[in-house]
Amino acid sequence: MTIEFSLSNRQREMQAMIHGFAETIIRPEALKWDREHGVPNDFLSRIVMMAKSMGQSFTMGPNSADTKVVEATPEERKKRQIALTTIVGAEEMAWGDAGLMLCIPGPGLGGPPVRASGTPEQKQRFFSIFQDMSQELRWGAYALTEPGAGSDVAGIRTSCRKDGKHWVINGRKCFITNGARASWNVVFATIDPGLGRAGHRAFVVEKGTPGFSVGKIEDKMGLRASETAELVFEDCRVPEENLLGGEDSYKTKEGFMTAMKTFDNTRPMVAAMAIGIGRAAYDYACDFVKQHYVMTRPIPRYAAIAERLARVGRQLAAARMTTWRASWLADQGEPNAKEASMCKALAGAAAIRACIEAIEICGAEGSIARDHQLLEKWFRDIKVYDIFEGTGQIQRIVVSKRLMPDLKSF
Amino acid sequence: MISFEPTDDQKMVRDSVSQFADKTLRPRIREFEKKRGLPDDVLAAAHEMGLPLAAFPEAVGGSGLGVVTQVLIEEELAHGDPAAPFALGGPGAYGWAALLFGGPEVGKKLIAPFVGAGAHARVGAIAWGEPKAPRERGGLATTAEKTASGGWKLQGEKAYVLNAHRAQSFIVFAQVDASKGWDGIGAFVVPADAKGVRVTARLDTLGLEAADFGGIALEGVEVPADARLEHAGDPHRLVSFFATQALLVAARGVGLARAAFAVTRDYCEQRKAFGKPIGHFQAIAFTLADRATDVEAARGMVWRAAWLWDEAAKTGDVGATREALLHTAWAVSFTHEAAMRAGDDAVQLHGGSGFMRDYPVEKWMRDAKQLQLCAMTAEHADQLAAAIAVNKAVELPLVLPCAESQNAFV
Repeated sequence: MTIEFSLSNRQREMQAMIHGFAETIIRPEALKWDREHGVPNDFLSRIVMMAKSMGQSFTMGPNSADTKVVEATPEERKKRQIALTTIVGAEEMAWGDAGLMLCIPGPGLGGPPVRASGTPEQKQRFFSIFQDMSQELRWGAYALTEPGAGSDVAGIRTSCRKDGKHWVINGRKCFITNGARASWNVVFATIDPGLGRAGHRAFVVEKGTPGFSVGKIEDKMGLRASETAELVFEDCRVPEENLLGGEDSYKTKEGFMTAMKTFDNTRPMVAAMAIGIGRAAYDYACDFVKQHYVMTRPIPRYAAIAERLARVGRQLAAARMTTWRASWLADQGEPNAKEASMCKALAGAAAIRACIEAIEICGAEGSIARDHQLLEKWFRDIKVYDIFEGTGQIQRIVVSKRLMPDLKSF
Repeated sequence: MISFEPTDDQKMVRDSVSQFADKTLRPRIREFEKKRGLPDDVLAAAHEMGLPLAAFPEAVGGSGLGVVTQVLIEEELAHGDPAAPFALGGPGAYGWAALLFGGPEVGKKLIAPFVGAGAHARVGAIAWGEPKAPRERGGLATTAEKTASGGWKLQGEKAYVLNAHRAQSFIVFAQVDASKGWDGIGAFVVPADAKGVRVTARLDTLGLEAADFGGIALEGVEVPADARLEHAGDPHRLVSFFATQALLVAARGVGLARAAFAVTRDYCEQRKAFGKPIGHFQAIAFTLADRATDVEAARGMVWRAAWLWDEAAKTGDVGATREALLHTAWAVSFTHEAAMRAGDDAVQLHGGSGFMRDYPVEKWMRDAKQLQLCAMTAEHADQLAAAIAVNKAVELPLVLPCAESQNAFV
């Protein structure tokens, strides 16, 4: 091995293809989807077809239902750079429209826990429905957050108890991406809140399960094309085969570890999306400065603006390097929890800053929503990237615990 | 491929430098500071390890390991003592200038005195900066005039010259053609004992005391025709030279930041207040997490820029140079700020003790500020990065250190 930073031909081709698609097909529609709170199914079908023709490149990795990816051996992961390839694609796709990205059919954030903790039968059962979506689009989702417990995962109150060959779930989940339309949700519940993390159980709850219903669909600041749902469980009866990993796997602390594994895998992915949005705003501001300053004014007149552009550019570059490294570690099969949190914290903050700076540089014009003028939308979309998948503050808790082994909790 | 894994050779070099830094440099930093230099045994040890010549091509007596290896070495050295890489013997910037501006033959001749036994205390220096740059035109105030015998006569004063007092030989930049501004400068090899060379007073500095910052006066110094390095007027080479030197300083910043972080983390784990280690309070822990993240990000950025320079050297492609330059500018400004934050927070988290010289952190804070003024400042790098981002031509004044500012320390 050697230190190097060139994309492989395969990665570069994928990046170029997604970029072209993002620029010519996605961006012209993005504002409409944002206003209509969704992406039409025929468009999503097109994306699914495209992903298939590309070997699922940009829905692959953590989100993939592709058995080649799901079942990849550590050697294959390393060789194909599955995590890295995913984040390169994710940045490009988010540069187009992050809202659309969250709508793409597939197991979504529900994929990683099933892949990490599911039994072979469960993986087969829950992933196989995504193999052929030519007739019907399908989603998976991940339901952890509750009205009373967000980052403090140990505080979830949704309860589960065994009753014969079923588990009975009661409680509410909120802010669940694609939760309403999902064919199945990975739902976290507790057998006894007093047990903390040891009491947690993860279930795959299928659409139509008795006692499961969808509550309200949220109206949000940004990412409005994405569906964010509340899920309600009232004596919801889930067959015991849907307990993720099977009962034996909970004899250790595995229940909670499932959630954590998910985040280690997905944080670099979310960081890459944030960088994609931040880069969109940065590119926009650079173009604006080119047109309004460089052509007509001498350098000293815009030195302050140049400094702001450079600061945005380098913060995004810093976030990208840590994101690449976290993903590279994942591909190497090495632990990356610290690095995954580092990149998530950096990327969220850098990309928010990029959007704020871009709007300030572009002035009033930057705040106006028009087709091909999406800066105000990116400004709205980006904020949640320092919130979901762990706030910036939570990332710092994760990092500091790994810097100081004696630090168990605050 | 993207890879963060050094080659086996690089790992071996890095590990041995790291050991040297931990065992030989770190325990003696106050001694070096007081002595305002590195003692002979330290210079000899570094020379024996081949550090000063590691990155130089094999053709001139080096190990041919390239810029990536060089930044690995610089980080480790600076982790031991940030002043050490400035104060070690060897061809350093002088050697790179000889090679780039003189070509392989001249480079080999000028680097030869630094190779082999007994050469450990030999030093070359770059005389670029000036106490007073011309106001009415671009370029340098020091002049080079052709003599009747075909040689050159140098007149002027150079300032902020690293190693002025120790160097056996200088490469002096001077104005050959005043009407051409920055495009009319030349570089000349001037032995320290040439008639008319006077070394001016050594400067007392805020930090990096073991490094020697001084100046030289050139009072009608005559050098033969072949003392002129023929390619020094080539903007492409000038840009490469100053940018790679700036990148090496950035790599030292990474080492400094890492040292300040690690010592501070240890202190915060051991120092107790209100019944627990102060590191177990969030205000402290989050600060540590941010500084650790800085190191991770800065290192990645420096590596990427270094890799781009190695690639650009292989292809000689102008576009590749432009990309290397952009990443260098980002790495330089990010690292300068990161090192300063690391030094500042290190003193802050040590509290009153941090202000005392019993702890190394006050030195690192001063060193960090001094480091920021070497080679290329963050402000300078930002203007350069922004110019590239908005597609402006990279003009020489954007890259060359401003002659009258301290940032001419190379």
